[in-house]
Amino acid sequence: MHKRILLVAKRDYLTAIKSKPFLFGLIVTPILAGSGFIGMAIVKAKPEIADRHIAVVDHTGITTKALMESVAAKNTKDIFDKTTGKQTSARCVIESVTPNEADPQAQLLALSDRVRRHEIFAFLEIGRDALHASEDANPEKLAPSFRVDYYSNSAGIDETRGWLSGPVNDAMRRTRLAQLGIDPGRFTEVLAPATMQSMSLLSRDPSTGKVQEARKRGELEGFIVPFAMMMLLAMMVLMSSAPMLGAVADDKQQRVFEMLLGSATPFELMMGKMIAAVALTMTSSILYVAASLFVLQSMAMMGMAPLSVLPWFFVYMVADVLVISSLAIAVGSACASPTDAQHLAMLVMAPTLIPLFLLAPIMQAPNGPMSTVMSFLPPFTPLIMLMRQAMPGGVPVWQPWVALIGVIAWTLAVTWAAARIFRIGILVQGKTAKISEMARWAVKG
Amino acid sequence: MDAIQLLNVTKTFGEKAAVDDVSLTVPEGAVYGFIGPNGSGKTTTMRMILNIIYPDRGSIRVFGQKLSGRASQIGYLPEERGLYRRMEVRPLLEFHGELRGGRNVTAEVNSWLARLDLAHCAGQKLETLSKGMSQKVQFIASIIPQPKLLILDEPFTGLDPVSAESIRAAILDLRRRGSTVILSTHDMNVAESLCDCIFMIFKGKKVLDGSLESIQQQYGNDTIRVEAEAGAPAMEGLPNVEKVRDLGQVQELRMALGCDTQQVLHALMSRTRIRSFAVSKPSLQDIFIRIAGSEAAAEAQNA
Repeated sequence: MHKRILLVAKRDYLTAIKSKPFLFGLIVTPILAGSGFIGMAIVKAKPEIADRHIAVVDHTGITTKALMESVAAKNTKDIFDKTTGKQTSARCVIESVTPNEADPQAQLLALSDRVRRHEIFAFLEIGRDALHASEDANPEKLAPSFRVDYYSNSAGIDETRGWLSGPVNDAMRRTRLAQLGIDPGRFTEVLAPATMQSMSLLSRDPSTGKVQEARKRGELEGFIVPFAMMMLLAMMVLMSSAPMLGAVADDKQQRVFEMLLGSATPFELMMGKMIAAVALTMTSSILYVAASLFVLQSMAMMGMAPLSVLPWFFVYMVADVLVISSLAIAVGSACASPTDAQHLAMLVMAPTLIPLFLLAPIMQAPNGPMSTVMSFLPPFTPLIMLMRQAMPGGVPVWQPWVALIGVIAWTLAVTWAAARIFRIGILVQGKTAKISEMARWAVKG
Repeated sequence: MDAIQLLNVTKTFGEKAAVDDVSLTVPEGAVYGFIGPNGSGKTTTMRMILNIIYPDRGSIRVFGQKLSGRASQIGYLPEERGLYRRMEVRPLLEFHGELRGGRNVTAEVNSWLARLDLAHCAGQKLETLSKGMSQKVQFIASIIPQPKLLILDEPFTGLDPVSAESIRAAILDLRRRGSTVILSTHDMNVAESLCDCIFMIFKGKKVLDGSLESIQQQYGNDTIRVEAEAGAPAMEGLPNVEKVRDLGQVQELRMALGCDTQQVLHALMSRTRIRSFAVSKPSLQDIFIRIAGSEAAAEAQNA
């Protein structure tokens, strides 16, 4: 029996690994998954550095001067790369516009037209009472005279607004301090911000007993590593298991199984396919993990590598591939054609996709009640528990082990049910089974 | 030892009995023809012998053993073409042979490829081959390594006469070398000429079982084959003739029980010139139609 399982696995593995879609996916999938970072890198490599003219309508009459000084200071120090000295972002140029109190709407419309004609990038309207604290603490209900409004034609995220926020606040604080009679020479001292450095936790070396000092941690470090591990796991699982859905439906439609059933049992065929999926995933994941470690090593960033979580990555990956591939095989065998199978793809991929949809809340509170509970639900454990383990805070030692028991039980249950569906599904021709029928086959056999 | 023993086997799908209380014994070394209209239960019976599906009632023994798991000694050629289209012919055949036989079958693959004139396309993908060539490849896949029992579901479909002849010769050769062959076919000429015994299933029930001679014996010499100058119109309304089957150049008359064939001959001679007149047993085709009726007649004619 084992020989036949391995023979089926070998055929499926070699066929898949030599196929163009697999090789293409091996190269393209990480590019697509990391396209956001690549885009950021491209933007960083070729930044837009043309001057951005900002018109300011200052109803306070006294803020623009301070604003110009703050912007000039920021233009001097914040738009250049500290190492290379190359300009990396646009310089802001403030243009003071005298407020038209007789017809403010006409003035704002005229400035809007200038933005549309690209004469200026954006304009600010500083409210008459903006220098005074509002009685209403809710910023949403703030009266216009207390606000600073930023008008622009930019779609999506407008970095200039964020860029200007610092100088605008700085200018207003300086103006307020001046109104309070404080010596302008002390403004920098008064307004100096505190630096809050993100640090890792201290720990004791189990072998030497020495306390290991906390180290500085980058903002991205806590986010990128867990995110990358989760995405890699999801990508690996989907790359190897999801295509199996259509492939099995196609083999069924082509009556391949009927021929094979003369030589092997349905269980042997299914196990062979699942082993091929695991082998395929291991092949690509080892390549990706090795490449990632090589890149980190060459960038002297091995400290970021989550080596303690890597064994869990592979354990979860094998379990998840077994679950998703057995689901794909079962559902594919119950479909009349590959097209029908594609309609049920979401059903198969749900355990992988749901954690991805919940990425943001889980990353915000990795040890919160929702994240913790979700990570113990076996279909989601591989992705969510892995991400929680890779987060800087980690998880209590017992949690992955307890969750693993659930994952093993879930994997066995799904595989068992899938085998029962597969055995019947491959012989039913001409119609795609309903989900209720599949459930009946799984329960009653 | 009998190759196959089916005892009161029943298989139902929903409300419909696909196979209904069928018993059958196939002796070792025989070529056994399975005939019957579409949907009569042939494929279900074969799948149960293969242990792909299980009977609801009754028992099945293959070479005296109840099957459990995989039927390693059985070669199976399904009616539909079911091979990996994107695989090359030789690796495909080696995969199928090794899967069933558990050993390297390269030598046998080469031998059969040469024998069925496929050696030149051993390196080609299956999807590039013609229907007939694919059928021959599938036939090889079902007989490597040589099985003790070979189940062939419509093996001649899509084959030109030359290829059909080479498959026919291969089947007879396999029998000579000890294999038992079950052959499902809609071609009654193939069943008559190739099979030692015929098993007919109709609406799930066994309706014929035995050698061709014994089956024909049940119907007696009630058939007259006539070649007449005026053709079929001259046969209309003949006394004691129950049915006239027009085959074109020849007409087949089915006689009423106990009638005098000489009277029929006299009546015919009074109507037209007779070129030939032969009293014979009914053909398998005729028997098939008598059992399965007009519904299956068209199907049999088209086979």
